[in-house]
Amino acid sequence: MRLIKNISCITALLILITFISGCLGNSIMKSEDQIHIEVIVKNRIAPFWTVVEMGAIAAGREFGVNIHFDGPTDEKDIEEQINMVQRAIDLKADAIVLAACDSEELVDIAHEALSKKIPVITIDSGINSQKVKSFIGTDNVGAGEKLGQALVNKVGDSCKIVVMSFVKGAASCDQREEGLFKTLDMYEDIQIVDIIYCNSDVDTAENLTVEIIEKYSDIDAIVGLNAYGTTGAAKAIIEQNKVGTIKIIGFDSTPEEVRYLERDIIQSLVVQNPFSMGYLGVKYAFEAIKNEKIPNIVDTGSTVIDKDSMFYIENQKLVFPFTDGLSDPTVIP
Amino acid sequence: MSGKVMGLLKRIHTRLRLNSIQNVITLSFTSVMLLAMLIVSISLYHLFSDSAERNAVTSTQQIIDQVSLNLNSYVAEMMEISDIIRSSLTSDNFDKDELSDILNVTAKIRKDIVTMVVYSQKGDVIISNPIGVYNKNFEVTTQDWFIELLNNPANYIFLSPHVQRFFENSHPWVVSLCRGVTYYENEEPIVLVTMVDMNFSTIEQMCNNVSLGKRGYIYIIDEYGNMVYHPQQQMIYAGLKTENAIDALTREPGSYFDDHTGEKRIMTVKDVGHSGWKIVGISYVDELVANRKYFNGFILLITLFAIAFEILASFFISAKISRPIKLLETQMKRLETGDFDISVEVKGEGEVKQLSKAFNIMVARIKMLMEQIITEQEEKRKSELKALQAQINPHFLYNTLDSIIWMNENENYEGVSVMVAALARLFRISLSRGNEIISIGDELEHVKSYLTIQKVRYGDKFDYSIDVDSTLLSRKTLKLILQPIIENAIHHGVSPLNEKGIIKISVSSESDKILFQVSDNGYGITPEILSELLVQESTSYHGSGSSGVGLKNVNERIKLCYGEEYGLEILSEVDVGTTVNIRIPYNGL
Repeated sequence: MRLIKNISCITALLILITFISGCLGNSIMKSEDQIHIEVIVKNRIAPFWTVVEMGAIAAGREFGVNIHFDGPTDEKDIEEQINMVQRAIDLKADAIVLAACDSEELVDIAHEALSKKIPVITIDSGINSQKVKSFIGTDNVGAGEKLGQALVNKVGDSCKIVVMSFVKGAASCDQREEGLFKTLDMYEDIQIVDIIYCNSDVDTAENLTVEIIEKYSDIDAIVGLNAYGTTGAAKAIIEQNKVGTIKIIGFDSTPEEVRYLERDIIQSLVVQNPFSMGYLGVKYAFEAIKNEKIPNIVDTGSTVIDKDSMFYIENQKLVFPFTDGLSDPTVIP
Repeated sequence: MSGKVMGLLKRIHTRLRLNSIQNVITLSFTSVMLLAMLIVSISLYHLFSDSAERNAVTSTQQIIDQVSLNLNSYVAEMMEISDIIRSSLTSDNFDKDELSDILNVTAKIRKDIVTMVVYSQKGDVIISNPIGVYNKNFEVTTQDWFIELLNNPANYIFLSPHVQRFFENSHPWVVSLCRGVTYYENEEPIVLVTMVDMNFSTIEQMCNNVSLGKRGYIYIIDEYGNMVYHPQQQMIYAGLKTENAIDALTREPGSYFDDHTGEKRIMTVKDVGHSGWKIVGISYVDELVANRKYFNGFILLITLFAIAFEILASFFISAKISRPIKLLETQMKRLETGDFDISVEVKGEGEVKQLSKAFNIMVARIKMLMEQIITEQEEKRKSELKALQAQINPHFLYNTLDSIIWMNENENYEGVSVMVAALARLFRISLSRGNEIISIGDELEHVKSYLTIQKVRYGDKFDYSIDVDSTLLSRKTLKLILQPIIENAIHHGVSPLNEKGIIKISVSSESDKILFQVSDNGYGITPEILSELLVQESTSYHGSGSSGVGLKNVNERIKLCYGEEYGLEILSEVDVGTTVNIRIPYNGL
């Protein structure tokens, strides 16, 4: 009797051991290669987002996760971006890093992802949700303040300006305006003549700028709150032969903007750090997958550059990112 | 409380039978094996870790060496190109067209050359390849390296990767090699500065394409510790990542452990010739650890299986060893209950076999002894009964009563009363309330009564004397051992004599024995008869007057009661007499 009892005990033990070692074996075999992070940005092809992609890929390489980078070709194609998030959910991505085209429209789909236990990390442009807690991007209020300071440095503390904003109601837009006005409020002699919205379109910005120049011939500067507005304004200034007369303080550092900066058409740019956004977005997504605590807000910083400081060694990488071995998208003339 | 605990422990102990041979063997075997497995596993693990770490260091070093070699040759090629340009300039009057041709050919051969420029002392471009719109904002004369080269034209100066500002609208990442050249025009030394810009992406690819594990990477620092190349340079400038460049700078080429990021990393440092750069390879130890984890899991798995197998094996082995012992144990339990009809099947290991055999022999012996005791007891009863019967032998009683009647008729009343009293005493002591053991005093009293009766019967045919050590009177003896001897002495010793017979009875102590001695001066016994006396059944060949209980009966009773070393000894010499020695233990029951 005792023998039978002992044998059954040992058999049970053996089964338990096999089970445990099986589990152990599985957990060993499951490598981090299988982790798949979906990075969905506002615009797949714009230079800014290319650098975000570089950061994401660098992080993917460092943490050994698969990165799929996607985004609409048009920043205003909200529907397409929602579809992309839906696809990521359907593909059972382990995490989604999102730069939202719209802070309201993407809330529902982000919540759906969260309900399926897929962590959502927002970068650059967040969404209005209490549930999506992590935001990695530029402190836009701070960037706005820097923009104002750059204006004072380049144009002076007594001037008339037009603010070239982009989409009224967009979080980043409002925050940059807020920061800008915070700085400008300290200078009584700076007069904001008008605030115009280019709807994140270069042509619109160009046309609006032409109108503005005709309307207010005595303005000293245009402050661009994003790359499209700044580029459009610069184009209009060249077209209207106002280079030097109307100064431009802008945002971001597309190759086009950089060229204008070097040719003194744009006097100052506030540059973000898209590489860090991509890198940290993936890094924190990876940590979220591993259930580690991640910070709610990460400021990737912004830097003011001008014609000279953009060649400082610490700024060169921000202004002239490597892109896939092609050192510069601009062509040698 | 502690008592309760102790009790509980004891119960568990009993319940689990921790002290059973099987469990002892299983437990000790298991623990020894466990220890051995642990030692083996741990040493295996360390061996593996060490070799994995060494391998990682070696392979990292090899990769870094390769990168260094590539970079070296890259730098050497740059210097060669610089030298070609320089040599065409050192000739006294240089031909601009010839130089242009050289530059064109070089640019065609070397696709990684972005720009080649020759500056005048004042910073004007003398010749460039390719030709383009020069950046008016770029003042070469303000650059540190330009000033330095005007003073020391023979030096090579490497410029770390930077954005080229030479042309308007073009900002490729380049590495520059600059060198001055002095030539004489009209005996006047003129210094020119050459600059060769190489595409940095080549270097980047060199560094980026190596894989130091999944997460490892290479970075390059210049002689001041500035970051020349880092895969995440933006992160470093943004302060989101730090690199221990100063530490790497002070290191001799080789491999070191570095944990400034909080993670254990292997830092491999290697110099790049000429440029003063250092390549630093970073590989992550936890990737080895991932490998190690796999290995650990493997070891754990094997260990667990081995332990399971070992427990099973030790269980069966101990079961095999202990099974015959257990069988023996159950048989012994049966023995305890008094069942002697058991025999253990002799099998198992050598010792157990011996044990079983011995057990079987022991059981057989016990069984035999038990049977012996039973028969002995039976015999004892029988001979006692016989002895008793002898006392109330009707013949003896008849003779005695006849003597009494005869005395009565002769009006010898005193004699009658003596006889009756003696007869009564004889029977009283014979019965002695069924006790088998009586005092020596009583036994002698019994003999005296018997002799009194016999003396009346036989008249003055014999005399007797009793000599006893009075200290022995209270000692115990088996009853009715003297009377048969004396009866024999009367019948066969003294009664056939013509002269007066003498029977001497003495009791004395002889070391740890008590010796009864009955000797007569009769005819004695021939050796033939003597040898049979103690073997033969009752020596009742003379019928009348004999009690029918022989010397053998007495001898057997003594031996049964006290053991083989006690009993009768008959010494006889024909025509001289017979002496019978009876020995019983001094401290007999």
